[in-house]
Amino acid sequence: MNQIRHKSAIFPKPSILTQPFWNAAKEKKLVIQYDPDTDSYQWWPKSISIKTGKMNLQWREVSGFGTLYSYTVTHVPAHGFEDKGQYLIGLVELDVGVRILSFLSGISQENVKIGMHLRVTWEQLNDEINMFMFESRDTGI
Amino acid sequence: MNQNFLKSKDIAIIAYGETKLERRSGKSPYELAAQVASELLSKTNLRPQDIDGFATNNTLSDCSNPFYSNFCVESLGITPRWLQTTDIGGCSPIGNVARASAAIMAGMCEVVMLINSDSPSTKLGQSYGGFRSEFLEPTGIQGPPGAFGLLMNRYIEKYDLKFEALGKLAVAQREGAILNPNAYEKNRFSISIEDYLNSRMVSSPLRLLDSVMFCDGANGLIITSTSKARKLKSKKMVYPVSYSEITNFNSMSMTPDIVETGFSVVGPEALEKASMSTSDICMFHPYDDFLIAEMLQLEQIGFCRPGEGSDFLLDRDISYRGGLPINTGGGQISAGQPGLAGGGLNLVEGVRQMFGEAGQRQVKKTDNAMVTGIGVIPYGRNWGSSSVLIIES
Repeated sequence: MNQIRHKSAIFPKPSILTQPFWNAAKEKKLVIQYDPDTDSYQWWPKSISIKTGKMNLQWREVSGFGTLYSYTVTHVPAHGFEDKGQYLIGLVELDVGVRILSFLSGISQENVKIGMHLRVTWEQLNDEINMFMFESRDTGI
Repeated sequence: MNQNFLKSKDIAIIAYGETKLERRSGKSPYELAAQVASELLSKTNLRPQDIDGFATNNTLSDCSNPFYSNFCVESLGITPRWLQTTDIGGCSPIGNVARASAAIMAGMCEVVMLINSDSPSTKLGQSYGGFRSEFLEPTGIQGPPGAFGLLMNRYIEKYDLKFEALGKLAVAQREGAILNPNAYEKNRFSISIEDYLNSRMVSSPLRLLDSVMFCDGANGLIITSTSKARKLKSKKMVYPVSYSEITNFNSMSMTPDIVETGFSVVGPEALEKASMSTSDICMFHPYDDFLIAEMLQLEQIGFCRPGEGSDFLLDRDISYRGGLPINTGGGQISAGQPGLAGGGLNLVEGVRQMFGEAGQRQVKKTDNAMVTGIGVIPYGRNWGSSSVLIIES
């Protein structure tokens, strides 16, 4: 696995609420909160359904497929990303109807395009955390 | 929501105060607040014991202190019967004008000192929990510039963005900063549209000259009932006549159009409450953390149609000499952003202009001013809070 960041980067710290997400991530599975009352997903993790106000939520594994809604090329790196030079951050719209902010892996400034097809991939940060990223689903990019 | 408690001009702003903006001043927000408090009291011939209401912003520099407002009034010798800390970022100062007005009209207090103070270039104390430290920062996104880079690219996907229009706005505001003795001194040199276009990328397509820079500084107002203002024989008075605010706009959608902001609600609503249209507005003092935010406000408040912000800016004189002066004191982008006191910078400039005290950059038509606020970077959206205040003479 190609390491993206140093230990000086901000690593996610799971909470009681989010531990199931990171447990699934360890097995390279992307899970998103699902609200059976409205048959819809919500992201980022919350204690209640923002549509019904009920605490009736489930974690569901999703395909990890999505499209690029927008992106920015980071010229001034965040802490821990200094070795990456210029890198891309994307807002990715998953096929289950939520958007997730992510590092874009292996996509160049020349090839990035709003609407491009993406899939989830993982960077192992330590024994506890696999961090999600997205990469191109099209071949040759 | 269309009930307008401000319409009858029962509330008056009778004084403004402001420090010069500095980088790494070494001063605490309490010291900067004292400077503004002293100016406000001196201008109104009031003493600390005459102030019975106090409103302020949360700070970046002393936010680790959960009792900031209490420490602040103790340091100023003020005994408020109504004390308010507002934490909606850049919306806090104009939000506090509305909150103070409501408190005065409800009889909770009579004379409010509004102080906006912060010194983030000397000390930063913030630490974000929740989604920000777990799902936003670990991606490597570069804070607010990253969020606005995403927003700009989405705008470009939807509409025609002419960068020279943003450059024109940068140049006009810089001219204001040169004429503003309180602006950060090292910014008081002229720039050209080419300088804007050639400034280095931070989080592309967002450039350095699209962006604010943290400074230390404070600003404030005295707000009271119009009847009390007359008793105090206040020589100058302006009236907040309309205010609208929204936080967490479009929250029900997991996939909203991020180009559409809360201003599409609060802009038209604030105008309707004041029985005004955009053509009635004499000057516009929009919250300016990034230039694109000002263009989105022009479009969504209704000065022009969505997507036509570039041409709107290119077609008119937006300096203090023009038909719609914008951020005549340089705004935060050219005068400097005093952290979470920043929303007060353009507020005080609006009041100063309406008092006819803006010196070389004085605008001619001062019947009213529109001032706005933007607060907080949420997750994968544009911004958290949007607010609009209209002041009339």
